[in-house]
Amino acid sequence: MKVAVAGKGGSGKTTIAGTLSRVLARQNGGVLAIDADPNPNLAVSLGLDAKQAAAIEPVPHSFSHHGKNAAGAYSVELDVTPEEIVARYGTAAPDGVTLLLIGRVEPHQAGAG
Amino acid sequence: MTAVVTDMEAGIEHLKRGTLEHAEILLIVVEPYFKSLEAAGRIAELARGLGVPTLYAVANKVQSERDEAAIRAYCAEHDLPVLAVVPFDPEVSEAEREGIAILDSAPEAAAVGAIEEVARALRAADRYCMEARVAD
Repeated sequence: MKVAVAGKGGSGKTTIAGTLSRVLARQNGGVLAIDADPNPNLAVSLGLDAKQAAAIEPVPHSFSHHGKNAAGAYSVELDVTPEEIVARYGTAAPDGVTLLLIGRVEPHQAGAG
Repeated sequence: MTAVVTDMEAGIEHLKRGTLEHAEILLIVVEPYFKSLEAAGRIAELARGLGVPTLYAVANKVQSERDEAAIRAYCAEHDLPVLAVVPFDPEVSEAEREGIAILDSAPEAAAVGAIEEVARALRAADRYCMEARVAD
């Protein structure tokens, strides 16, 4: 299940995304939580402290490039596998959540397929 | 991994850069005021145009029946099912102020209960989608 959480700034989407990630992980195991916000703060909503949050290394943009899909829409193409990205850049969060910080890199790139 | 949850960039500009390309379910968090509702409507319209299969609104910071009614009316008009209503919760404000997770500071908070409802509803929707795919 691939869920994206959107909304206006300040709507509480990060609090909902973080809490939802942990609740889903408690109910069914392994959740990948992806912070795609250029101003990332999902880590805190997941229960990491400020020091842990600050230590997270974002996934470099150099792992991907923009292309166009068959329909001519913008698409993001990965140059390494999602598994490699999660293994290298994933940070363990409570309840079996793994957090990835991707800034402006698109969510599906590190998707669990 | 059983689920991927992506906290998107705020607003709508990023949607044109393919950020929703592989999303199966989009949750649009909406607060009970006009500009938030309008933003949700625009996000929904763009997401539909981009072919996101399933869209839901999640009402947040709801303080009254009038708040909830305003969100439900707007969402009904825009064909956007409301998956859950998360109440305004001072425990959330407190957790935000302290920079801690609401699940750790107040696991029994009303807002947490509502988000647990979101998770259950998502599981049910996901199971239904998978059955539909199998049926195809």
